[in-house]
Amino acid sequence: MTELILQSLYSGLLVGGAYALIALGLALVFGTMKIINLAHGELVLLAAYVAYTAESQFGLNPLASIPFALVIVCASAVLVYLLVSRIRVNRELNSLILTFGLGIILTNAVLIVWSANIRSTSSAWLQDAVVLGPLFSMRSEVVFFVLSLALAGGLWWWLSRSWYGRAVRAVSSNRDAAKLMGIDPVRTELVSFVVAGVLASVAGVAIYSSSVIQPALGHALTIKAFIITVLAGIGSMPGVLLGAVLLGVTESLTVTLASSALQELAGMVLFLLVLFVMPNGLFGGARRRG
Amino acid sequence: MLQLDNIAVRFGGLNVLTDVNFAMETGEVVGLVGPNGAGKTTLFNVISGLVRPVSGRVVFDGRDMLRAPLYQRARAGLGRTFQIPQPMHELTVRENLRVAQRFGRGRVDEARIDEILDFLKLRPKAQADAASGLALSELKALEVGKALATEPKLLLLDEVLAGLETHGKRLFMQTLLALRERFGIGILIIEHDIETISNLCQRVCVLDFGKVIADGTPQAVFEDPQVIKSYTGGAAHA
Repeated sequence: MTELILQSLYSGLLVGGAYALIALGLALVFGTMKIINLAHGELVLLAAYVAYTAESQFGLNPLASIPFALVIVCASAVLVYLLVSRIRVNRELNSLILTFGLGIILTNAVLIVWSANIRSTSSAWLQDAVVLGPLFSMRSEVVFFVLSLALAGGLWWWLSRSWYGRAVRAVSSNRDAAKLMGIDPVRTELVSFVVAGVLASVAGVAIYSSSVIQPALGHALTIKAFIITVLAGIGSMPGVLLGAVLLGVTESLTVTLASSALQELAGMVLFLLVLFVMPNGLFGGARRRG
Repeated sequence: MLQLDNIAVRFGGLNVLTDVNFAMETGEVVGLVGPNGAGKTTLFNVISGLVRPVSGRVVFDGRDMLRAPLYQRARAGLGRTFQIPQPMHELTVRENLRVAQRFGRGRVDEARIDEILDFLKLRPKAQADAASGLALSELKALEVGKALATEPKLLLLDEVLAGLETHGKRLFMQTLLALRERFGIGILIIEHDIETISNLCQRVCVLDFGKVIADGTPQAVFEDPQVIKSYTGGAAHA
């Protein structure tokens, strides 16, 4: 029993890497534009299907398909941005409807192009077992967990050290003041969408490589990312990482101890519990203005 | 330097500004006064680009700015502070200034940042978090510092002294006086305190009900019967 629990903690930790990338993208866009991109999970899904096509049609290893996923997903993210930025009135609210609709369109586009069949990688190298003491995983899980950590580290560096990263933080913190400092808000928003697209691309390929994909997955991923962001307390990057692992672990413990049918429910229960006990999120601290 | 022609702003059916004509020379220090609701902050918003007037022209430094977005006006040399300080949270005081300089001026000059920090007595707080580590007077100083970091030709100060206690007010007042000497930039300042305005400004412009009712030296303006009437709540607002 202890072994089973340890194993599910480990699996939960590994899947948390991809979850974190998805949630960080959602949070980044929320920061600069104060909108929740409900089509974000579908962007991740798109990356997963690009990896599937690259592998099944052209025999590419999913890792090698990342550049193609980057181009297609980032271009789609820019399209989403162009549509959202056209909303002039009550953007926070109206963008919910717009991005929700875009998500439906993307899901159905995926359904038409790739059919409703469940897909997963056939790469033997990625599916090889990696043994770590009593713990098992697929090689893909470890590879993408490390990649996710590296990417999250890169994002942290970019946000705190690069000028565009600082501009993103400035706009997130205070839009009008940022403009008065000479920061172009449109360019900054666009940058945040593209970076979210980069994170979504890697997350999508990670999910394709370590798990199974089907067209309805996008919606579930958006909800997971949203849960993690709220768990974290909006604006807290370490919070997002821990929240992602917490969600991953909760899901995998539920699957191990109860039933895989309850996996999605577990995240929701966790979400409601945290909201009830700590309304500002686990790491949100005092509520901030602006 | 700055020229406003026939500016009109309407919010809903309300005329907030009507036919405002106003001009400033390079390096001039002008006070903008008027009762609450006279349209002072709206006029600032028109100049800095937060509010687009229904009619009129905004010319700054020889360029028509009416259609220029906020950030381009900032880059053109229009600095502004808000009545309620608006620091960048999650950035230190120094980072606030560096970001303003990088995006407002297109380069980072640490020596200049040190100069601004020293000038505003913010040097000891340079590494403090702007959201949580500052007192109100320091937040107000940072507000001016961010504007200075963009190296403005004209600085719009919106009630920077409001909310400070007497001593803090006096200190900040000295800073503002020195600002004029040290950086040689033009200042347009909204302030309720007539003494402050008289000490700081060579010229005062009075707004009432969205119109300019007086414009001249502090002495002449504050003796103008119409101005006195608007301040003491006289019935005639012709």
